Amino acid sequence: MIGNYNPENTNIQASELPPVKENLLVQIWHNRKARTGIMIIGFFAIFGIIGQIHTPYPASFDNFPTWLPPSAKHWFGTDYDGHDVFSQFMYGTGVSLYVGAAVALIAVSLGTMAGLVSGYYGGIVDNALMRFVDILLILPTFPLLVILSTYFKPTVTSTIIVIGILSWPFMARVIRSQILTVKQRPFVQASILAGMPGYQIMLKEIFKFTLPLIIINAVYIFVGAIVAQAGLAFFGLGDLASINWGTMLYYAQSQDAVIYYAWWWIVPPGLSIAILGIAANFFGNGITEVFGERAGEV
Amino acid sequence: MITRRYLIVRSSYALATAMIAITLNFLLPRLIPGNPAAVILFANYHYLPPGKVKLLDSEFGLTTNNLGIEYLDYLKQLFLHFNLGVSFSYYPATVANLIETHLPWTLYLLGVSTLVSSVLGVITGRWIGWRAGSRGESVTSSIFIGLTSLPYFWLAIIFILVFAFMIPIFPLSGSFSITIIPGPTLAFLGSVITHSLLPIITIVITTFPAFALTMRNTMVNQNKEDYLLMAKAKGLPKNVIEKRYAARNAILPVTTHIVLAFGYIVSGAFFVEVVFSYQGIGYLLYKAVTSYDYPLVDGIFLMITITVIIANFVADLLYAILDPRVELR
Repeated sequence: MIGNYNPENTNIQASELPPVKENLLVQIWHNRKARTGIMIIGFFAIFGIIGQIHTPYPASFDNFPTWLPPSAKHWFGTDYDGHDVFSQFMYGTGVSLYVGAAVALIAVSLGTMAGLVSGYYGGIVDNALMRFVDILLILPTFPLLVILSTYFKPTVTSTIIVIGILSWPFMARVIRSQILTVKQRPFVQASILAGMPGYQIMLKEIFKFTLPLIIINAVYIFVGAIVAQAGLAFFGLGDLASINWGTMLYYAQSQDAVIYYAWWWIVPPGLSIAILGIAANFFGNGITEVFGERAGEV
Repeated sequence: MITRRYLIVRSSYALATAMIAITLNFLLPRLIPGNPAAVILFANYHYLPPGKVKLLDSEFGLTTNNLGIEYLDYLKQLFLHFNLGVSFSYYPATVANLIETHLPWTLYLLGVSTLVSSVLGVITGRWIGWRAGSRGESVTSSIFIGLTSLPYFWLAIIFILVFAFMIPIFPLSGSFSITIIPGPTLAFLGSVITHSLLPIITIVITTFPAFALTMRNTMVNQNKEDYLLMAKAKGLPKNVIEKRYAARNAILPVTTHIVLAFGYIVSGAFFVEVVFSYQGIGYLLYKAVTSYDYPLVDGIFLMITITVIIANFVADLLYAILDPRVELR
């Protein structure tokens, strides 16, 4: 996502800012918090991708002795059924991150579109969309996820779709309010007067101002989705045959890993979720700082 | 200030959301293709006991083919008789009954942990907010961000591993010791408290940092206000400015945050209950989900949703009452 990012499109107050001296990506990279966040998320992404191609042992191979503690042969030991936990963790990282990324893609597209349309057109469309958002924001997400997953036999894909559909409202609201302020800028008013079609104004003039918000929200939704999926799997909802952080914790709980003191099975997936959460926060704060500085350069 | 208009707008939102939840609850069993009763039975038992299909049909209120009549009947049962149907897995117990017996445990767990974590959050948030920018503040804030990112259920498992197995100072599971007969005795009360300590600590640790961080941000914003400059110029002791001036104003948005966070705390408590086999609503929901007890899942969903909607409504009102400056739509 960050790779395709055109630095010239992102200065927060394009009309008032002096010419950008430094490349935006460089500026983000120089922010310590943002860099830490990117590096942590990048590490997990690479780790997860490698896990799809190669693991020390096949992730579903289950003929090792059970409940082995960590050793040189099994870095994270083995589980109740004789799986190599490190291989499962490596493979599962990819699946969990895939869920997060796919949900972020769905939610970001929906949220951005709803926010753009609502903020730009206003009127009845805005009213209808935002009342809908208000209602979705009041509904508690987790119980809703539980009831939907109970009725519709969940697969990894259906879990992604459900979490994705429930994750966009907050973002839509944030983007809408950003657009309301951008719309008042003289250059947008000029484009409207010049008779530029609405969709062109939205895409060419306004969209770029929402990019920082989109990036930050995307990262939070990404991590939020991983947590939500893990939570559902932990509740026994979701495709329990799929290997991911959530199902690892589900089996650790249902097979009484604590009785065997099998911390090596419990710690890696949960700690990874926590570390990703910290990374998302660092990244978000870093990006806010960078754009804050830019806006302050006026 | 609460204007009449404000009250009407807010309560209509709450009602609309509640109606959506209720309608969803009504529609979901009917969205399954074919006869839901047959589908459910076949999926779980792989054969169709003839009597059970009929029983399930009447459970779901699938007695006519007219959706409108069924809907009206459903609403009538719900509002007039608080009838949420009969549980499959705890047959013949009714859903309303099951919720009633499990609810007190959840309320106790939630009440105590919300109270402790909000007080803790406000106090620590005030402290770090007043020292924003210092080394101690940035370390504490980073730790808090880390704590909010911990999955509840994972922390609960780790706590059981450490404090019930490795260093066995807390009981492993349940709401009270099974060797004690429930009753108004000191032994029972003690057992209830020791069994709830670890779950409460888990919920508090994962929720208070969020309150603290909100409090921190609002404290930082107070620093820009003129009245604080005035207080400093008057030469008031720092301690007094922090606690009597800044914190008093900073606490307003935090109050609404706490009420709004209620929905999250509820689901968090559910996970914790599952891990600790604590006999509350969350554990009941888990049991219902794993045994495909649809009426029970529906009933619990409805109850939580309505509770969260009410919490939101209360938060809206609180906000308007506590801060008269704010004039809301």
